[in-house]
Amino acid sequence: MAAPNSEADQAKLQIFKDELYDTIREHGSETRVFSQADLKGLGVIPNNDVRILVDVIQMLTNEKLLIGVHLPGGELGWKWRSREDAKKYTSLPDEPTRLVYGEIDQAGQDGVWIRHIKLRINIQDATLKACIKFLESKGFISSMTNVEMPNRKMYIRADLKPSERATGGPWFTDGELDEAFIKVIEGIIFEYIKTRSAYFSRGTVLPQRQPKKGVVTGDARGVKRTATDISNDDATPAPAPATKAAPPPPKGKPMYLPMPAGYKKYPTVNDITEFIHNQKVSTAMLGVADIQALVDVLVFDGLIEPIQVHNRKGYRVVRPTKQDTVSYAKRQQDRESHPELGDIVLGPPPLSSAVTEAPCGKCPVFELCQEGGPVAPSTCVYFQEWLGLKEPAVATANETAPL
Amino acid sequence: MLVTAPLAEFCTLTIDEIYGELPSRIYASLLMRGRSTIQQLAGDTGMNARQLRHGLALLLQHNLLHYHLDAGSPHYFYEANVEHAYNLARTGKILQMVEETHGAAAKDVMQTIILTGLTRVGDLVDAYQNRIDRMNRIKEKLKAEEDPFGNGVESHEVNGEPKPKPTPQSSKSDPLISSIADLNKIIYKLVEAELLIGVHKTSFESPEDLLATIESDIQKTYPGGEVKGNKAKAEYKDKVAEALRKNRSESRSLKRKLEQNGLSAKRRKLFDGAASANVMCINYEKCLVELRNRRLMHYAEEAFGQTTSWVYASLLNLLSKDISRCRDDPITDHYEKDEEKPAPVVVTTSQLLDVLKTSLDLSVGLGQVDADKISVTAAEKIAELPPRKKFFIDVQAEADANASSDDDDEGEDVKPATNGVNGVNGTHVTNGVNGTAKRVDRRTQLRQHLLLLSESTQGFLRHCGAEEWTVDFVPLMAALRQAEIDATIENTVGREGVRLVRMLRAKGKLDEKAIMSVALMRKADMSKKLAEMHKYGFVQTQEVPREAKADVKKSFFLWYFDGTMALERILDVSYKTMIHSLQVLDTLREKDQHVLSLIKRSDVKGQEDDKLRKIHKEKLTQFLKLERMLLGQIQRVDDLVAVLRDY
Repeated sequence: MAAPNSEADQAKLQIFKDELYDTIREHGSETRVFSQADLKGLGVIPNNDVRILVDVIQMLTNEKLLIGVHLPGGELGWKWRSREDAKKYTSLPDEPTRLVYGEIDQAGQDGVWIRHIKLRINIQDATLKACIKFLESKGFISSMTNVEMPNRKMYIRADLKPSERATGGPWFTDGELDEAFIKVIEGIIFEYIKTRSAYFSRGTVLPQRQPKKGVVTGDARGVKRTATDISNDDATPAPAPATKAAPPPPKGKPMYLPMPAGYKKYPTVNDITEFIHNQKVSTAMLGVADIQALVDVLVFDGLIEPIQVHNRKGYRVVRPTKQDTVSYAKRQQDRESHPELGDIVLGPPPLSSAVTEAPCGKCPVFELCQEGGPVAPSTCVYFQEWLGLKEPAVATANETAPL
Repeated sequence: MLVTAPLAEFCTLTIDEIYGELPSRIYASLLMRGRSTIQQLAGDTGMNARQLRHGLALLLQHNLLHYHLDAGSPHYFYEANVEHAYNLARTGKILQMVEETHGAAAKDVMQTIILTGLTRVGDLVDAYQNRIDRMNRIKEKLKAEEDPFGNGVESHEVNGEPKPKPTPQSSKSDPLISSIADLNKIIYKLVEAELLIGVHKTSFESPEDLLATIESDIQKTYPGGEVKGNKAKAEYKDKVAEALRKNRSESRSLKRKLEQNGLSAKRRKLFDGAASANVMCINYEKCLVELRNRRLMHYAEEAFGQTTSWVYASLLNLLSKDISRCRDDPITDHYEKDEEKPAPVVVTTSQLLDVLKTSLDLSVGLGQVDADKISVTAAEKIAELPPRKKFFIDVQAEADANASSDDDDEGEDVKPATNGVNGVNGTHVTNGVNGTAKRVDRRTQLRQHLLLLSESTQGFLRHCGAEEWTVDFVPLMAALRQAEIDATIENTVGREGVRLVRMLRAKGKLDEKAIMSVALMRKADMSKKLAEMHKYGFVQTQEVPREAKADVKKSFFLWYFDGTMALERILDVSYKTMIHSLQVLDTLREKDQHVLSLIKRSDVKGQEDDKLRKIHKEKLTQFLKLERMLLGQIQRVDDLVAVLRDY
């Protein structure tokens, strides 16, 4: 470039620069990467003069209006940045701050770990801290937490919201798993599936024989039993397996019954999502994937099972005849007036297991227990309690050393 | 069966409990030292020859030993038969099963055979003849005196220490078996049901010895005694399997003999003649099949309710007539070609309808919905082949596979006529009302229950042809085993624990972060739960280094669930629980020794109510109650063991 007409060239370049920037903005969003060929194709630079193009790009990059990126082939490419954002860069006092801001800007919604910034731009700790402090005070960046790596100090551009991956989706509130919220939605979903996938038999044959009392006991079934309850249950001799002569289920008792084979209306995840939307239980947007995650948890809990009828993948409740017939809403109400009932436990109590019923199945010193050892079956206090030979030990000393 | 230390200890304790210390000490030595000759046993146990002979005879009498004589060797080798020893613990269950399926008289015969061990048919007939005679005498005496008398009739002579077993039966009631003809009928019934089998000359060989003998016999037929080449090896394998099967079928010779003679008049003759020399013993393999049926019925009841489970029980009873054992032996039941394999047993709807109890109301137990909400094609889908080996079917993959074949089914299937139970007009008419509103064909109702079972995710039933049903026991038992393991885990570590276990089972090995996102649990809770389950041996970890240096800090830790390990662990705990129960029972017995020794006195026996002092009577009832509890608990634990190991 010759010196005499530099001033005129400068003015010319200025015009080209503005024009190129505007044209680029018209041709794609902020995420589009323009290669050199793309820029030539815009036809802004006369005769596609490479030297002019390079100069213009240099100017735009200096003004932070273009971001240079490396394309896979080793070529350079560019993305554009809005004037407001670029202005932030130019308003920054020094190069380190600009670099730090650049790193945070580049990370976008995911945010960036402070150590990564340090490693990438190779900067002194003190300088980095000063830069961060400055940027925070200006309101350009803010700190954030990532649920996957909660211990990392991370920063994000102040005007961006952390991504779903960082916040963990709707089940997280402020980076913490919102268990109470999950429990409520789980309860609603389970109730919905239960009532839609099993047939509710009111048992209308003997309606007058259906006292209020029965409802209360039915309610108590959902309550977590205490240890003493269980051991009392076990104190009765193991019942012999029911014979075929056992009477059929009393007709007066309300219960859920399985649907006949080929039932087409088992609720699908889409049905459940729609239901949750219509119920307006939450202001948070719960998508199909979120509901699916919760339904999966219910499946893993062994409360519901997937069932395939044709191509429709629905869910149905397991062990329908053992389900509680008191509605979820009613149980919730009861708990408001009787907090001592404790949390609602979904579904019927688990199948009994003979090993865990005997003292040995839950014995803390099981591995040590042996005839002739310090702890032995013949002197076992747990067994004596279980057999009813001894009152449950009150003194804690006895519990820790069953001798 | 893998004999672990707790299992061996339990078997020894059971033998001690039933037959006394002498045989149990010999048995313990056999378990500990492996197969031994009588001389070795004498050295190990320090007993004299007389004691040993007594003990061994008792053990043999009760089929608790294998023995083997090598050709040319002067000494017999004795080996513990752990399977039968363990099965002693199931005696009560087996007797109950026999009583329910074949009546109280059959149970009485079975009990006698269990108490006496191997029994010659002639001896059994004689014993009952004696008993009947005695009973008749008592009856006459009673007629004369009108005085109720004790129940001495029931006490059986057992070698070793006779153990007092209170039997509910008293002489006041009529004897269960009043004539030898009745007895013959019962024996015939039990033999036909394969609950009793004949003893033959290889019955006492251990499976390993038998296999070795057969293998060496067959090897001799090959040139140079060596099997060379792939084709010959396959042929050899087939021959061994065939010989083993032939040997197995020998135990059924008694049944065949009886079947040939068919008619009852001739049967009576049969026992008078040659067959009375036949020795019978209880066939635990078949008993286990019957017990498995009962377990499956309860499982079905858990899943779908009583009515369906009763239908299922009837079906299983029909089906298991042709099933001799729960699990196929990999060597004996090896077939080189698929077409040689015995076809799976099937039951048709009509067969089932014929045996179903008339009192069973099939209209209850199922929900009623409009016909248009039912897809008949989906419900009636016929699966000709058993499910693939891998049981945990990925439902999504299944959906894709089905998509092609079932594509145009969606619009069809409004066939109210076939919709049986649901056919009634009402949308939400309740059950009982519905049942009476319109009579639905019983066959249709039955099919509804069967279809429900076929549709189940557990795989209770397979609709294997038009109106034909079969059960794929292998995947079904795997599902039941899984359910039992899950229940044990849930009862030990709670629902969150079992959630993690099911998750790991479905997804394989995961690191904590992945688990956290799927399980929707707090990290702290989850880590605690995983650590707790690791302590119990339910879940395992694997360390995967990120780089060659294997820096622990940088390694991944993957959690996984190993079904076999969890199963082994639960089995171990189960055996130990049973051992502990027996030991506690022993302690209790020692404590109440003075009372228990009182009731053994001949002048008190049978008249405890009159002769005992009040305080002793109370102690006795208390002790009997505790004994019942402990033995009952052992039975329940055994239910679990059976599912995990035997069924």
